Amino acid sequence: MTALLSLGLGAVFGWALSRSGAADYNYIQQMFLLESFQLYGIIGTAVVITATGLQLLRRRGRALSGAPLDVGSKPSHRGNIVGGVLFGIGWSICGMCPGPILVNIGEGKLYAFAALAGALVGTALFGRLYDTLRAPMKLPAMETGTGEG
Amino acid sequence: MPLILNQADPIHWAAGGAIIAAVTLLLLFVLNRRLGISTGFEDVCSLVVRTRYFERASLCEARRWRLPFLFGLVIGGAVSAATTGGWQPTWALGMLDDALALGPAGKMAWMFVGGLFIGFGTRLGGGCTSGHGIFGLSNLERPSLVTTLSFMAGGFVTTQLLWKVVLS
Repeated sequence: MTALLSLGLGAVFGWALSRSGAADYNYIQQMFLLESFQLYGIIGTAVVITATGLQLLRRRGRALSGAPLDVGSKPSHRGNIVGGVLFGIGWSICGMCPGPILVNIGEGKLYAFAALAGALVGTALFGRLYDTLRAPMKLPAMETGTGEG
Repeated sequence: MPLILNQADPIHWAAGGAIIAAVTLLLLFVLNRRLGISTGFEDVCSLVVRTRYFERASLCEARRWRLPFLFGLVIGGAVSAATTGGWQPTWALGMLDDALALGPAGKMAWMFVGGLFIGFGTRLGGGCTSGHGIFGLSNLERPSLVTTLSFMAGGFVTTQLLWKVVLS
């Protein structure tokens, strides 16, 4: 049931990213060139509505199942800045952030497979280097991780 | 401006944002999960890479919702293509095709390098546009604001350099 629901939500999410321009190379370049408002409008609208909904859900305090809502903050560390900047460079080069890599694969953009391969190798590399990076980046214990998301 | 995909007209930004918000809120309310896509790369790695980092309990536990979600993203892209004029494999890369006529091998190399930055950067930063930019900002989390400003800055400088200096 969880898998089926996730699949459905992912498909709707992916369709919206695809049709709104959020998974489009040109729209990402024009966002960073400040030549198109589209992506700022998408992210801004999403944040305003999600923030409002989160307030309501927090007041309720429980998920549909009755379990306490799981909305704790992510950990704070130096990786937020260093990793953020590195990710921004990659987002610019590919014109895709993680979700849109998968959306572009679905759309039939063949080069997106290379972006996915690169992302997986980069992730594997990070996992291997976690112990090394932990002190200089002030990362949390490995079990906690840098932040799930 | 039409999309690269089938030269289709995009939907309004407010509609795109509203759907993204609806999925984010449903995911939290129904499945009690916070949206976050880049951890999905760790899920995939955890299936093949035998390293302590990829055997964390929290990671393995979340695979059962996140892996199907990632697969859903692929399906969503395919449906979008099929309903805007048909699905077909393509190498089309918009502005970059006009500025720099890369062949398939060149595009693969370009994307692989960018992907390395995305994979390493999102995991070091603890999230991407979805987990920090949408969920974290909406939840007023300070690390998410810091990370979002950082990736917007990284992307801004890189894009300005690429189009105003390197390819100008």
